[in-house]
Amino acid sequence: MDTAIDIALKFAAITVAFVVVLLIVAYTVLAERRVLGFIQGRLGPNRVGYGGILQPFADLLKFILKEDIIPDKSTRFIYFLAPVVATMAALMTMIVYPFGPEIRIPFTTITIPLVIAHFDVGLLYVLGITSIGVYGIMLAGWSSNNKYSLMGGLRSSAQMISYELALGLSLIGVILLAGTLDLAQIVENQSAWHGMRWNIIFNPLGFLVYLTAAIAETNRVPFDLPEAETELVAGFHTEYSAMKFALFFLAEYINMFTVSMLATTLFLGGWNVPFAEDIFGRGSFLFGIVSAIGFLAKVIFFLFLYIWLRGTLPRFRFDQLMDFGWKILLPLALLSIFITATLIFLLPNYF
Amino acid sequence: MLALLFILFAGLGIGCALAVVAQRNPLYSAISLVGVFISLACLYVMLAAPFIAAVQVIVYAGAIMVLVVFVIMLLNVEQEERERTRLKFLVPAAVLLAAVLIAEVAFILVSVQEFRVTPTSTPSDIGTTYSIGSQLFTRYLLPFEITSILLLMAIVGAMTLARRGGLLPANARVVPGAQQLTLSMVDPAVQPDNLTLVETDTTDEAARLLGIDHRDKDDAE
Repeated sequence: MDTAIDIALKFAAITVAFVVVLLIVAYTVLAERRVLGFIQGRLGPNRVGYGGILQPFADLLKFILKEDIIPDKSTRFIYFLAPVVATMAALMTMIVYPFGPEIRIPFTTITIPLVIAHFDVGLLYVLGITSIGVYGIMLAGWSSNNKYSLMGGLRSSAQMISYELALGLSLIGVILLAGTLDLAQIVENQSAWHGMRWNIIFNPLGFLVYLTAAIAETNRVPFDLPEAETELVAGFHTEYSAMKFALFFLAEYINMFTVSMLATTLFLGGWNVPFAEDIFGRGSFLFGIVSAIGFLAKVIFFLFLYIWLRGTLPRFRFDQLMDFGWKILLPLALLSIFITATLIFLLPNYF
Repeated sequence: MLALLFILFAGLGIGCALAVVAQRNPLYSAISLVGVFISLACLYVMLAAPFIAAVQVIVYAGAIMVLVVFVIMLLNVEQEERERTRLKFLVPAAVLLAAVLIAEVAFILVSVQEFRVTPTSTPSDIGTTYSIGSQLFTRYLLPFEITSILLLMAIVGAMTLARRGGLLPANARVVPGAQQLTLSMVDPAVQPDNLTLVETDTTDEAARLLGIDHRDKDDAE
């Protein structure tokens, strides 16, 4: 009986997390359009609801109502599978991130952990699921039976394989500092110094490498070669329309969100808010709320950074992209591991 | 509950494994193989070895199979219908090998039944990240290092194979638009170490200077 309740609770938690994340993602799209509008000296969507607040729902309705065109000579099964794989892989990593500390419901002794699954190898789980996500794009490119799509899919897989290395290596420094792969434990380790012992202080190079590689992993500007519209029409999703296109769109923004959460968790102290523990006391309800809001604020900062980059940077050429990934980013990631390991070896008492 | 999950993942794994050999389309086979790896990873998690499970997904499903799918996409093998009859002589051999395999499995099953050992319920940390790490860097350090040297040799070998021929120097590129070629490539009379750059304006011009036919067969028609 207890297992049944446990499973029901987990399902409820997963549903709540997914709904919240999807809402945030929907409003990221709106924010992107408004911020891009601001950067480019125009308004952006501001007609649906107050200041465009209902625009995501209007977009969703449009996606559902559009005609769903399936190319005649596509490989049907894989064509349908690809957007599902992309979205599922993007959503699946959501369950290991600690959104906040344990929260105690006021006037009771019930505590709720603000993390869905406590996983011993959470970080590796995230990396593994992220590496599955590339199949969505590759299969979409292949099954569409379209040269532009195929080029987009090939570019994407080459790019993601290359940048996955730098991404993985840039995280080694944090693993060395924390001594664990458990995301919740990594966040706990950063709560010293009044909640400001963030890993970015000890491993700034790793942070920069991670940030760059993460942008490449999510196929965002300036690394959006797989869908470079000047060369490939729309890249891997050229042949996708209506809700299938919406799923790819969704997957891209969820991926943005998850890599932002990973950056926050690993480098910016996760849910640790400076001095929150001294003011509210550990384990109190307010502490939990403030920490969760702090986590969200840091994630939103990264999302804003993404949008900002999209508004201001031009796109790489493909050979430049490869050169940058292999000849600059990878050695820098190795250097960051070397520096961190040396620090830990020389000052074993501090880490 | 656990038995149910086991049946789910084991069934998925076996189904995908059958699909790997049964599918005619190589890409379908490759995707089925990804399915096998993922269901194996789920089984590892159930066996309290999350580290192995994660590495299984990252290395096999996330890296090796991506490369395999990449190659299938590049070659587009689907176009050529392979002859079914050509490999017919292998069928008896396959039956024989399958019989041997089934016999082995039956033997193991029988011997497990015969020599039943009651499992000791000592807590085990085999399979956790810590135990794997400490064992790998103490007891199994030499095999670990030898493996990495083996991988390094494979990388060097791949580089040597890919670089064989050495037609173009590193700074010559066939990019449409402005071309930059070294003088030694354009004019055979000058010394080969003369790296003065010569600019050409079009891909055609560059290809003519390099003496290669860059055009596809479709364009020539």
